[in-house]
Amino acid sequence: MIYLQGIKKSFRNQEVLKGINLTIEKGKVVTILGPSGSGKSTLLRCINFLEKPDEGVVQIGDVRVVAEKANKKDIMALRKQSAMVFQHYNLFAHKTVLENVMEGLIVAKKMKKAEARQRSEQVLERVGLSDKLNYFPSQLSGGQQQRVGIARALALNPEVILFDEPTSALDPELVGEVLAVIKDIAKEGITMLIVTHEMQFAREVSDQVLFMDGGVIVEKGSPMEIFTNPREERTRKFLKRISGGLPVHWIQKTAY
Amino acid sequence: MTIDIPFMWTAFKEIIKALPVTMMLTLIPLFVGFFIGIVVALIRVYKVKGLLAIANGYVSFLRGTPIIMHVMLIYFGFPLLIDAVAAKLGISVQTQLIPISTFVLTALSLSAGAYLSEVIRSGILSIPKGQVEAAYSVGMNTFQTMVRIILPQALAQSIPNFTNIFVGFLHTSSIAFLVSQKELTGAANIVASTNLKFLEAYIAAGIIYWLVTILVEGLSSLVEKRATSYMRGGVR
Repeated sequence: MIYLQGIKKSFRNQEVLKGINLTIEKGKVVTILGPSGSGKSTLLRCINFLEKPDEGVVQIGDVRVVAEKANKKDIMALRKQSAMVFQHYNLFAHKTVLENVMEGLIVAKKMKKAEARQRSEQVLERVGLSDKLNYFPSQLSGGQQQRVGIARALALNPEVILFDEPTSALDPELVGEVLAVIKDIAKEGITMLIVTHEMQFAREVSDQVLFMDGGVIVEKGSPMEIFTNPREERTRKFLKRISGGLPVHWIQKTAY
Repeated sequence: MTIDIPFMWTAFKEIIKALPVTMMLTLIPLFVGFFIGIVVALIRVYKVKGLLAIANGYVSFLRGTPIIMHVMLIYFGFPLLIDAVAAKLGISVQTQLIPISTFVLTALSLSAGAYLSEVIRSGILSIPKGQVEAAYSVGMNTFQTMVRIILPQALAQSIPNFTNIFVGFLHTSSIAFLVSQKELTGAANIVASTNLKFLEAYIAAGIIYWLVTILVEGLSSLVEKRATSYMRGGVR
């Protein structure tokens, strides 16, 4: 379960998050849509304190952190509840695929090496990379690198996985393989929070869709509600723009 | 003008006996300087309160003044300092019994620390921030991230710069001759003083410096290839 209350964040004088309240139940898949600069990524990064919120409460599972009073220990505990998949993969360049996945298990989770290895191999098989265990990230395609990133997050068995635009840096023909992997693990009942621009994917995978703009959550609802019958004008405009100038019912049609 | 080739060979054989001293005057300061450098670089990267100003001042002063001056300052200044402290504490220290090499090594170590700290700092800063965030996101703390993720890559990428510093300090160690340390340059002087054939002696010494430099550069490029093979898809 994720529980956010009154999350505020400013950079310099620019208020990026203007008080976000959000509850996500265990096992739900939630996607966040919104124009660039709307605060989607910042919200995600506030959840594991890669950005420290100025105000507010973040709770993941049993770990509750009040931003103003957060110390190092709290932040470490909170980070151990979550894992993140990054837009630019951010794999450890000097470690092999297998080592990338094992690193968090051995260092942060204090798992025995043999056990970590077994778990990592398992997860890498899951994302279809069993044949690349001893490759370096520099030897992999973007899609393969991102699948390692997903495996690295998945191996930790976290309360929630945060996806920060996982396919935005990929060549179009590689997007599919990554989305397929995410869909596959979504079925497993792990809580996921996904920032994405892939509308079709968001519709298929989400239990709930949030639309953010200007640092607030403008609208939330089921994919059906958001894509076929958005209540807010801003949501409607955004969907229209992202469908490439085509009328909104184009997305509605492909959505069915 | 003629050059006495046979004497050059004699000089060469005589001078090369001082190579261990030169190597000691190069390797010990670099070894000590490496640890000073890591500490100073980390203080500056993490902007450690209280120590940052000291670290900045240290690097600025030692890189802003000639190394020969550090040697002189320590050589003339340290005995005075030690005497003063000893007098305060009421113990007697015979500063003239301290070997000169101690002063030279101290000075060169401090200089090396300043230069190496900048090499290490730039190595650390060259590692993409995303990897740090990824390390934090899997639950690693600042120390684990530095030791397991950043430093291995930062140091591997700094190998060419380390080699530069090594070569620089190999040649700089010749200034120890000014405070009568018999290293390569000093040996060349002594050999030549018997028959005043300084040119031959210096050519011989120059060849020794050059050979060592070539050897070290070759070694460094081999090590670098190995250490950074991850960047080229495992190709060594």
